[in-house]
Amino acid sequence: MEKEKLESLLIEYIDGKLNNTDQAIIEKELTNNESSAKLYAQLKEVMNLMEHLKAAAPTHSLKQNFEKALQGEISKSENKPENAWSTSTQTTSKKKQVFFQPWLLRVAAAVVLVMVGIVIGNWINTTRQNNQELAQLKEEMETNKKMMLAMLENQQSASQRVMGATVAYELSAPDDEIVNVLVKTMNEDPNTNVRLAALEALGKFYQQSHVRKALLTALSTQKDPMVQIALIRLLVEMKEKQVVNELQKITHDEKVMKAVKDEAHSGILKLS
Amino acid sequence: MKIPRALTTDEQIMEAVKNGELQQASVLFDRYNKRIFNFLRQMTSDSMLAEDLAQNVFLRLIKYRQSYREGNRFQSWIYQMARNVFSDHYQSSKNKTRSHIDVEKMSDRIFESEDNTDEREQLLHRSLAKLSEEQRELLVLTRFQHLKYEEVAAIMDTTVANIKVKVHRAIGKLREHYFELEKIN
Repeated sequence: MEKEKLESLLIEYIDGKLNNTDQAIIEKELTNNESSAKLYAQLKEVMNLMEHLKAAAPTHSLKQNFEKALQGEISKSENKPENAWSTSTQTTSKKKQVFFQPWLLRVAAAVVLVMVGIVIGNWINTTRQNNQELAQLKEEMETNKKMMLAMLENQQSASQRVMGATVAYELSAPDDEIVNVLVKTMNEDPNTNVRLAALEALGKFYQQSHVRKALLTALSTQKDPMVQIALIRLLVEMKEKQVVNELQKITHDEKVMKAVKDEAHSGILKLS
Repeated sequence: MKIPRALTTDEQIMEAVKNGELQQASVLFDRYNKRIFNFLRQMTSDSMLAEDLAQNVFLRLIKYRQSYREGNRFQSWIYQMARNVFSDHYQSSKNKTRSHIDVEKMSDRIFESEDNTDEREQLLHRSLAKLSEEQRELLVLTRFQHLKYEEVAAIMDTTVANIKVKVHRAIGKLREHYFELEKIN
């Protein structure tokens, strides 16, 4: 028998894996052939030794190190759950779908944010611009007013004072300071034309109650006939009923000029 | 945490590990650490090195858990990793330090220094060390670790018949070395 074949059969014989026929052949060979018997004995010795080799145990540090690494991996995967996604190829498509919606929402949120930003930005910008314009306008008005008041109070030039009154006339809504200056000018200015101009300016604002009051008071105190006549005309035009008493006083006042008295008479007639 | 062996297969546990139950890897460690360590100890003839390499095998188990495929035998998978860890180490140490490993010298050093090693066992280790790496591996798996030819064929990705022939040749070769060394002694 060929050596390799014999060796193989002997190994199987030792392992107890031969069928009855082969077993009989080998047993016959072993009794008849001394060298085969020797080979069998040697194979059996080596195989027996291998079967009964002692297994060694690893030291405890193997287990400790493993548990340490495992805990590290566990806390890592708990902290970063997305890691599990990226490494898992089988669940990728499913995860993608789940991930898709938040992705869309994020884009939408970004767009909305940008738009809100633009709107707020614009609003702030326009408000600031408006504020700036308003401040500018106020400043302009302030300078105009100062200029006007300076004109009205210019003691040197009557024409300047008339111009101041004319400027006041152009105003749409004068403040108290201007009204007071105009009233003062109307009552006290030495120049008739200036007083008339001031009266004209005040007449324009008669709807304001304090202006009306100032005019009524002026009627009783005013001594300049020109101004008195203009004042009476204005108050009658305003249909100011309270003025009737005052007008009657004027008609009985002997110091008052006849032209003024006539004007007062016609005023009483118009109002009654 | 530990699951009785009879109730849960290695494969079921590995599936659980793959699906995020990492703690279950402990069960697999308990079942396999001794076998993997002894496989590597026989392959390297160095207990300290074998422990380091075994450590690497189980770290790979955790790290590459996603590469375990459903339906595959867990035992085949972990032995394949052990073989890879061993050959990686063999490659790198070969490149770094020496052109070839003097296995006989190594086995002398390691196994003779250990206690309770009788003369015949020492002789066997020296004979094993004289075999080619593939033959040594086949004998360690089939004779020392008692894996079936089918299981070894699955690990080495070859046929059962091929494994059987190779194991028989390896035993024949081991016998030759063993009795040669005995004669010298």
